Amino acid sequence: MYSLIVKMAWKNSFSRLSRTLLLITMIAVSMSMMIGIQGLYDGMANNMLDKNKRSASGDISIFAKEYRVQKDIKYRIKNAETIKKDLEGVAGVKAVVLRVKADGLGATARKSSFASLYGIDLEGEEKFGKFSEFLKEGEISFDNRGALIGLELAKTLKLRIGSKLIFSTQDVHGDINSISLKINAILQTTNISLDSNALFIDRKKVYKFLGINDGEVTQIAIMGEEESLENSLKDKYPEYDVKSFLELQPMMQMMQDMMFIFNSITFFIVMSVVFVGILGVMYVSILDRIREFGIMLGIGMHYKYIRMQIFLEAIFVSLSGYLSGAFLGAVLLVYLRDYGIDLSAFSDALEMWGYESVIHGTIKLSYFTTTFAAIITASILSILIPLRKIKKINPIDVIKAEK
Amino acid sequence: MIKLQNVNKYFYKDEPREVHALRDINLTIEDGEFSLFSGPSGCGKTTLLNAIGALDSVDSGHIFLDEREITTLGEDARTSLRLKEMGFIFQAYNLVPVLSVEENIGFIMKLQGFSDGEITQRVLELACILEIDKLLKSLPNSLSGGQQQRVAVARAVAAKPKIILADEPTANLDSANSKKLMDMMRELNEKEGISILFASHDELIRDSVRRVIKMNDGALV
Repeated sequence: MYSLIVKMAWKNSFSRLSRTLLLITMIAVSMSMMIGIQGLYDGMANNMLDKNKRSASGDISIFAKEYRVQKDIKYRIKNAETIKKDLEGVAGVKAVVLRVKADGLGATARKSSFASLYGIDLEGEEKFGKFSEFLKEGEISFDNRGALIGLELAKTLKLRIGSKLIFSTQDVHGDINSISLKINAILQTTNISLDSNALFIDRKKVYKFLGINDGEVTQIAIMGEEESLENSLKDKYPEYDVKSFLELQPMMQMMQDMMFIFNSITFFIVMSVVFVGILGVMYVSILDRIREFGIMLGIGMHYKYIRMQIFLEAIFVSLSGYLSGAFLGAVLLVYLRDYGIDLSAFSDALEMWGYESVIHGTIKLSYFTTTFAAIITASILSILIPLRKIKKINPIDVIKAEK
Repeated sequence: MIKLQNVNKYFYKDEPREVHALRDINLTIEDGEFSLFSGPSGCGKTTLLNAIGALDSVDSGHIFLDEREITTLGEDARTSLRLKEMGFIFQAYNLVPVLSVEENIGFIMKLQGFSDGEITQRVLELACILEIDKLLKSLPNSLSGGQQQRVAVARAVAAKPKIILADEPTANLDSANSKKLMDMMRELNEKEGISILFASHDELIRDSVRRVIKMNDGALV
């Protein structure tokens, strides 16, 4: 019995081939475009998050209490090397770097600007966040009083590779100190704050410059995505300020939420179109065959079998659409992941907001599973109205109408 | 046996255009009958056939199939009754277009839960009797009117119902095909012992049946 119902549903699904193919194409194209857009949105957001983590905060950062409010080097972590060694033994910690930061003034003979001096360890930063990938121009090296500078700051101060500048700030004793630096490289992290203000030099030089002891830092950045890590570190270091990435960069959380809303709206619009498409085709298909269903009821086929047949028809068509859409979507996502979309024409605006000019997509299984659930739901909902129509059929009316 | 007692049926009841379609019908149809409801257009023969077939309700009176009253049955029970006890042949054949001739003939048997082996055997047997055994793999749309009507007859007969109700089965057929069909139906009636009731004003059918039940203005005459 059920094999006959399945057979009838299958044959009916494709009996009006052009109409069915049109619907399958509509579902497939809508779905693949939606998946592509979701991948791009997530790719943009993930890229921004990833670069911010790698260049600045990591997944978790530890500061001395008060440092984040006062921004004063007197609030620093004094036993940072010991803590770093401890952290490297903690389960879930992938990498740890130490940084010293001092805000001050960067000046050339003609220009000056607010700047933040970061004392870093290049080898450690490379392991921590593939620091060399941020290189825009020049060579990553601290040789010969070398410094690395953020792209926007370089533009502000009109600096090129080999240009010199003076950075001045207060040392730990309150005295104004200056250091002469030569630009060895220009970096682009797409972290707006770093690109606009950062000057990176060797951490060891900063100790002397600021008058602080070796091994003292203003930030310990940690890579490690386990959710429990943050809480365990908060418990382990109550005397310090342990902050997660999203606590440090609430804008990122907002951006993630915004991307989720964009994705949800896109998803809703596309699924509504799919729903209307399936509804329209199923409704017309059923109206075309209303006499056939009436006769079936008349000769003794129970309504539940007709309902099952129509349900299967909707599932067959929408599933065909889904499979085609999933294939097209996967191809599109792989392309977007590997090659991305080049929006260099808008690079200034994009970089200002922290995005790269070439946007790469991401691939998540959830794009396919949620779409599958939505399409099946849409197909089930779309047959409710046509089924209501059939439920109301009086076989005798259909039989009379044939005469 | 089918028994009708004081059956009345109205269309557009309590409206100015009310039609008294069946008037106090009292009738007994014995098992194995080969009968015709005959009369002018609009006399109520199709309405009576539909009432007997549990396709249509009546406003008063009782219809019994054997000892069971069918006028009081709910929609599901009526559908089950139609499936198990009755076979229908319509003027417009009404085959399932996406199923082959073989599948159409076995359709009712499949709904009743017969095994594939039983269905295949029965389909072949009927196809040979009705001379459509060469067409079993064809789709209905590729058949002539006469061939389609023979498939419809085979479908109605396949599950061996107690009664077959045939409403104008020859209306779309030429005289040669009509005669062939009636010969076959008569043969089925005699071989299978199935009661067959026709509603028609086709003279060929009137000449073929054993009993003619005449109607006029909704009443038996």
